[in-house]
Amino acid sequence: MQKISPAIRRFAPGEEVDYLIVGVGSAGGVLLQRLARAGFRVIGLEAGPFWDTEKDWYSDEIGAQRLYWQDLRITGGTDPLALGANNSGKGVGGGSVHWAAFTPRLHPSDFRVHSLDGVAVDWPMRYEDLKPYYELLELEMPVSGPAWFPWGDPHGYAYGPHPLGEVGNVLVRGCTRLGIRVCAGGPVAINAGSHDDRPHCIYRGFCIQGCKVGAKASTLITHVPDALRSGAEIRDYSMASRIALGPNNRVDGVFYFDRDGREQFQKARAVIVCGYAIETPRLLLNSACPEYPMGLANSSDTVGRYLMAQAGNVILGRFPGLVRMYKAPPAHALTEEFYETDPKRDFARGFAIQTVGPLPIAFGKQIMAAMGAWGWGLRRVMMDYNHWCALALLGEILPWHSNRVTLAKERDQFGIPVAYAHFNLYDNDKKMIKFGREKVMEVMSAAGAEQVVQEQRYAHLVGAARMGSDPATSVVDKFGRTHDIANLFICDGSVMPTQGSANPGLTIQALAARTADYLITQGENVFRSDHRDLTEPTPRVELSPPGTFRKGIPRPGTGWIFRRRALQAKA
Amino acid sequence: MRETTAVDRLVREGRFQRALSLVAGLSSILAGVEVAWEHYKGSYSHRVMYTPVLLSGALAGAGVATAIRPRAARAGLRAVSLLTIIDGLIGFGFHIRGVQRKPAGWRLPVTNIIMGPPVTAPLLFAVSAYLGLIASFLRPEESPGSPLAGVRIPPLSRAFGVVPEVRAGRFQKHLAVATILSTFFSAFEALYSHYKNRFRYKVQWTPILLAPLLMGSAAAAIPFRWAARTVLPFTSLLAILNGTIGFFYHLKGVVERAGGVKLKLYNLMYGPPVFAPLLYSASGFIGLLASLMRREHE
Repeated sequence: MQKISPAIRRFAPGEEVDYLIVGVGSAGGVLLQRLARAGFRVIGLEAGPFWDTEKDWYSDEIGAQRLYWQDLRITGGTDPLALGANNSGKGVGGGSVHWAAFTPRLHPSDFRVHSLDGVAVDWPMRYEDLKPYYELLELEMPVSGPAWFPWGDPHGYAYGPHPLGEVGNVLVRGCTRLGIRVCAGGPVAINAGSHDDRPHCIYRGFCIQGCKVGAKASTLITHVPDALRSGAEIRDYSMASRIALGPNNRVDGVFYFDRDGREQFQKARAVIVCGYAIETPRLLLNSACPEYPMGLANSSDTVGRYLMAQAGNVILGRFPGLVRMYKAPPAHALTEEFYETDPKRDFARGFAIQTVGPLPIAFGKQIMAAMGAWGWGLRRVMMDYNHWCALALLGEILPWHSNRVTLAKERDQFGIPVAYAHFNLYDNDKKMIKFGREKVMEVMSAAGAEQVVQEQRYAHLVGAARMGSDPATSVVDKFGRTHDIANLFICDGSVMPTQGSANPGLTIQALAARTADYLITQGENVFRSDHRDLTEPTPRVELSPPGTFRKGIPRPGTGWIFRRRALQAKA
Repeated sequence: MRETTAVDRLVREGRFQRALSLVAGLSSILAGVEVAWEHYKGSYSHRVMYTPVLLSGALAGAGVATAIRPRAARAGLRAVSLLTIIDGLIGFGFHIRGVQRKPAGWRLPVTNIIMGPPVTAPLLFAVSAYLGLIASFLRPEESPGSPLAGVRIPPLSRAFGVVPEVRAGRFQKHLAVATILSTFFSAFEALYSHYKNRFRYKVQWTPILLAPLLMGSAAAAIPFRWAARTVLPFTSLLAILNGTIGFFYHLKGVVERAGGVKLKLYNLMYGPPVFAPLLYSASGFIGLLASLMRREHE
């Protein structure tokens, strides 16, 4: 079994460090590990606790509420988002502690949405720039998946897939009957076999409640242990309130509230914000100063804008036979057959269909929303839980200027203004959701469901501090460096200009590894100079946590047979 | 009729090296494909999991090489076969450890044997290597004269008198023991795999029920020559037939999974192990071979 050493104090109060990372979640964990391994003096500030996986996590749906960011937030717009569960985490590991660990890559087309489809915006980088990091992180988590994944840039996974639960069987059966290609057994960052000190999945079904077993990857158990061994420090229960702008248009540290509620200041030569799509813009907006009255790094008025969520409609079907949704990882089969723009449809971009396996409480909430069931009616459906199956639509909602995070009048327990998230759906989004929802219902019926209902919801927040080449329309450059301030970086899902229909976790970690390589390549220049060198860094495989790189089966994609199949698939 | 007699004589005199080395190579490919899937499922989490995959390829190569050029028997086939047998034994140890490392280990034997690595699979893998080893000691079909003409016998083997006997086709009892072991390993695998499936089809009982018959007749063949001539070939043929039928049932099982042939790679991996019944047939094949052999010291 894996033993994670608790975080210890390494740097003296008032001591200046090289990098101060705000938020030790998916991206923060990877950055912390790589920068520490490269020899930088680095501290991670985390608003939540440093989890003791043995004591703090238990197999209980209600108990898992502590994993989410449940502090006050305000939402609005015509289609308000539900924040908290399912889209933001608190504590070391962040959202990766309660993600389902689905890890599909973005497609190459996701990086050129504007050029190809005339909507949204292109990324300032190509898929090929991120591909080596996808491959690296798939080994570091590691990702279990099929030997052949046919969509986007076709590739295979180095570790074996998981056996299917009945939810997977439903998806596979329905898709096959309709002639839709489907992928089984992953990709999912849950160990199908034991690796070093991490055990394999025992299929007890509590994946998104914090995997107590240690089979599911989260940066808490994949990267943070190595970061601590490499000399990084993590300060838990440290809520960042404001980034301080020093002389020469450079930031020089962060104010934060410690576990006793006292305000502290940590000096740093550079700051990296990894707070995710709500807390990152909130921190930047709360750091407004005379030089940047609209918020730090917000001279373009783009901070907080282009907030995105993915359409995450859950389609529930009742089957005559037993399904028992809990008996498998929620994420273990999917199809991306409808991912790309299809000229025959009346909307741009597309969606994926994935398995989900809600436990009874989540299922009860979904049934309440989908059927309006309550009282005895709800109880009757709940007693029938083992016959129900849930599939999810994961659809791409485009980035819109008016979907944004701003500051509300309300304040949190520290007296810091909280975030207000405004969210509307637009025509393209509505058409996509309608088409996708009907397609999933069709799949469910084809699989033999006798009753099919659906709940409209959202998943995965990204955007709100997007990257781009033009400082007038974006917040950061392609390496996460803010256009306005040379030693202030943003590295999390908020920098994504578009989101595709893939779960963003893997992309966020891959972007973090790439940013880390860039920072390491730049060395001291980041601290001393405002010069921007935008040369692509070389992926540094030696920075992977020990025992991860070069493991698994030899990488498909490098052999001629896989290359040939990839070319055929593209043709 | 004359041809059959000639083949029979060649086998009885230990001159069927080419055929046996090919059989060893083929069965090694079957076992190799099976182990490659199974270890991929286990995520190749230990580097040693690559060794049977590599060795199965090497054994197949050595088997084919021996069939083409009998000289390869001594240098290649024997060394690879020995290595594979050793690897099988080491693998057996690792698989036992794998069961032990599951939650509750041997205190929960039924669950953990079912859920852990297949315990006797590495020994089954060693069976094809055993056939290769035997083939490496046989006379080539075209070798003339005395069974020992022009052969350098390693001193240790000479001391135990193993090689001269094998080369003369006198290793019936030896093969009978191999039949018992191989059948036991194979039937054990079938028992817990079919138990995992709750013996949903009655036909799943047949390899389990046939195993004691084959093992019994092979055991009887050790003291009684008549048993080797009468009962053993009959039960061995039944085992071969059973394995072949099982092969088709397993294929059917794969096709009938959700996704069927459209999800080939996945369903082959997680459906019933397609080649496992053929390994059961291999036990029958060894029994049949035993019945055709001459007896030691006769």
